[in-house]
Amino acid sequence: MALFITKRLLMALATVLVVAVLAFLLVHAMPGSPGAVSLGAGASQQAIDEVNQRMGWNDPLPVQFFTWLGSAVQGDLGVSLIDGRSVSADLASRLPVTASLAAGATVLSAVLGIALGVTAAVRGGILDQVIGGFVGLLVALPAFWVGVLFVFLFAVQSSVFPATGYVPFEVSPQDWALSLALPVITLAVGGAAFIARQTRASMLEALQQEHIRTLRATATPTWKILYVHALRYASLPIVAGIALQFIGLFGGSVIAEQLFAMPGLGQAVQTSVSTHDAPAVQGVVVIATVVVVAVNLVLELATKFLDPKLRAS
Amino acid sequence: MIPTVAPAPADADQAGRTTPGATPARGAGKAAITRLSRHRLFASPGALAGLLWLAVLVIASLTAPLWLPFKTEDQDFTAVLSGPTAAHWLGTDELGRDILSRIFAAAAGTLGTSMLTVVVGVGLGTILAIAAAGAGERAEGVISRATEIMMSLPGTVIILAVIGAVGTNIPVVMAILGILMSAGIYRVILGQAKSLQSQLYVDAAKVDGVSALGISLRHVLPGLANTIVVQAALIFAVGMLIQAGLAFIGFGPPIPQPSWGGMIQGASQHVYDAPWMMVPTGAVLALTVLSANAIGNALGKAPNAAAAHLPSAAARRQRAKAVAAIAAAVPAPATKDSAAKGTLSVRNLSVGVDNAGAGNGVRLVTDVSFDVEQGTVLGLVGESGCGKTMTALSLLGLLPSGVSVTGGQILWGGRNLAATTDKEMEGIRGRDIALISQEPMRALDPMFTVGYQLTATIRRLRGMGKAAAGKEARSLLEKVGIVDAARILKTYPHQISGGMAQRVAIALALSGQPKLLVADEPTTALDVTVQAEILSLLRTLVKDTGMSVVMVTHDLGVVADLCDQVAVMYAGQVVENGTTQAVLDNPRHPYTLALLAADPHANQAENMPERLATISGQVPQPKDWPAGCRFAARCQFAGSACLEPVPLLRSGPGEGLVRCVKADQLAVEGMDWLATDVPASRRLDITPTLTASELVEKDLA
Repeated sequence: MALFITKRLLMALATVLVVAVLAFLLVHAMPGSPGAVSLGAGASQQAIDEVNQRMGWNDPLPVQFFTWLGSAVQGDLGVSLIDGRSVSADLASRLPVTASLAAGATVLSAVLGIALGVTAAVRGGILDQVIGGFVGLLVALPAFWVGVLFVFLFAVQSSVFPATGYVPFEVSPQDWALSLALPVITLAVGGAAFIARQTRASMLEALQQEHIRTLRATATPTWKILYVHALRYASLPIVAGIALQFIGLFGGSVIAEQLFAMPGLGQAVQTSVSTHDAPAVQGVVVIATVVVVAVNLVLELATKFLDPKLRAS
Repeated sequence: MIPTVAPAPADADQAGRTTPGATPARGAGKAAITRLSRHRLFASPGALAGLLWLAVLVIASLTAPLWLPFKTEDQDFTAVLSGPTAAHWLGTDELGRDILSRIFAAAAGTLGTSMLTVVVGVGLGTILAIAAAGAGERAEGVISRATEIMMSLPGTVIILAVIGAVGTNIPVVMAILGILMSAGIYRVILGQAKSLQSQLYVDAAKVDGVSALGISLRHVLPGLANTIVVQAALIFAVGMLIQAGLAFIGFGPPIPQPSWGGMIQGASQHVYDAPWMMVPTGAVLALTVLSANAIGNALGKAPNAAAAHLPSAAARRQRAKAVAAIAAAVPAPATKDSAAKGTLSVRNLSVGVDNAGAGNGVRLVTDVSFDVEQGTVLGLVGESGCGKTMTALSLLGLLPSGVSVTGGQILWGGRNLAATTDKEMEGIRGRDIALISQEPMRALDPMFTVGYQLTATIRRLRGMGKAAAGKEARSLLEKVGIVDAARILKTYPHQISGGMAQRVAIALALSGQPKLLVADEPTTALDVTVQAEILSLLRTLVKDTGMSVVMVTHDLGVVADLCDQVAVMYAGQVVENGTTQAVLDNPRHPYTLALLAADPHANQAENMPERLATISGQVPQPKDWPAGCRFAARCQFAGSACLEPVPLLRSGPGEGLVRCVKADQLAVEGMDWLATDVPASRRLDITPTLTASELVEKDLA
């Protein structure tokens, strides 16, 4: 187990490093030097060169990368070329937004998805087909379209929820929850459908296992076979599915943040990419990766913990 | 052991080939069409509709300039933000542009660039998988680690960074998306590629000197075709959604050019004043994604899913109805018949595939009768596919989904178990009748400790408290010959050996103190030495507890060792029964004779034949059972009389019954089942002892 955890930690570290290199190279492939971006149109070539020189843009790439990595490890991701703000500080303020969004959507998807998937597998018959059709439709509906529909239904038609904007938790927990509701539901629609499919398939597979027959042969009540034994067996692939879903949702929050005007990481990527703000792009890519990899690691360890075979070894 | 219920895919081919046709050529064509129409893709209405929609979309989009009523940039300021009208079938946007025209104009580009993601993603994923499968463990390890890294990346964020570098160059962005998605595809394909790579014919090709590349292309790739197409369809759908999503947040094609995501973005700005605008583009996008998914799902559907051991609620309701029907049709058993407690009487039991299922009413067990007295052991013997396991499982009401008792009675303690609901069976299972099955490793729940499984069962069946149940669990384990019971209680099933697991499974079966134990090939999966231990344990248990046993086996040695009575089954029928000694010493049915001749243990060392006999051919599939003797096709003594149905009749001095028209004659002539090919002269054509009409009369009597 200890070896397994060490291996996974090293893998996680490697992942972040690979992404850091990738982000660095991508940023360097962006059109326009930092000087040109920060000084804007109309700046003289000389002024641009001067800024580039000062920022080390002309140093050899490895030197630049390790300089960046050195400060990044200490929590300094540089300053934005556009407004001169610290990238780290900016991202630190944005992270809670995206984290609440992704975590909320993952939890909601898991709850809805497991409920739907288990119901479909356990009830069978027409209900299974109805759920299957419904889930198939949800998978096909683009999140942004669903989001707009929700805005139309719940914010325009009946003002149950605010249409856009984000209220920090510290300001008002109630408004925070309300401001998150629509974006979270929007993201959870597709996620729940995905997890429902995974759950249904895993449950059916569990019910095909021979030990289920042994349980019936010893008069185990049906509810216990289904919800204690089969669900426990199915829990491994389901949790793995949820981990994958979190990765998707964290990235997918770009759309929800744009749609609902939420000041999260996704919005930061979108703006910084549009404005060619190199340090901001580089920073947000790395931070997003760190979060995703960390959560993934935890969920993966949880999966392994659920499996007696791995836990024992 | 359980006969395949659903027809194997090969059956469909066969049916196609045997389609009668006027001329060979026409017949072949017809067969091909039959085959095609039975293809999974066409069997699913959703996939068919999806295929049709994609075809219409592609053709309409490619020919758009020829038929579109408006140019994509045509602005009609007299009809801004209009709903559907005669001029604008799907309405107009904020600049009065025709939505229908823009949707179809954008389709080709969307589908084409999504296809690029498919080609790059599926292509790269497949190449990586085939390479990893062919290049050995080390290379596979490296590739797998790399793909794991790729899979744990926040893909959307990376794609946006890529857009930052290359701009909104959609084909490049979609190709890079393909690279990011190839990791997931690799994971899906790798397992299958590895299993193909380990096939014997691949080894043979390697020995023949076929190059690694040759093997990959000729032997592995074709086998992956279906999976690749399924993945392609699913990735195509994801590609479209992501592309639309990017366009929605402003990273689509440059502004005046229409794109689905961009159009939905435009519509979202007017959700307050013109909500209709959301509908057409959203519907077209969803429909297209739905189509691709439907195709992928139809192709990816496993053709032969295993049956659930716990049927769904809907299936259970259906079974309850069937049970009620049987209960209504068969009069309640006369109590005097089975008043004797602890006696199991099976009368004319038939088991069949449910009509609704793929098997369409095929019978798996027909007209089986036997009795098991208290404290005795009955052996059900026969080859695989003879209906032994089905017969055994029906005693507990544990037939797999889609299979049920279709007639006859299972009399136990004055009740007919064949007409007992699942709910009522719960009171009988474990407490009255218990089961041990073939593979002990799979019979135990891998997620719970032996101790939990045992104590939970004891508490449920015996109503004991936690502490008492724990004590009882330990004593049960000791009773089944486990020395370090305390340690075993704490282990998970994967931590103990097969023999140990079977002992645990037996302890589990004993925990409700059953009166009848159904043992389905309890020693088949075990090592020979362990087999002997388990058999001797069972023998001791029968002696000590006085329970009776129905022992399913194909091993005549087990029968000789353990059973008091034996019923030989062939193709769903009992062909001979009687006391073990009578049947084994004086077999009267050619099948019993053949089984004995083919058993290496039954032939004593001194008179061991030079060549062990075999029974040529195979047990016929349930759907192919003939009306006459079901063994005739493989029988060395078969004659024309065997084409008529054969009843189970008394034969010889004992109480045993036998289902063979030549039983008496064979007994008189004392024929042996020959190990070598049967000479033609041997095939006696004995005149039938009974005419067909007499047979019918006898059956009716």
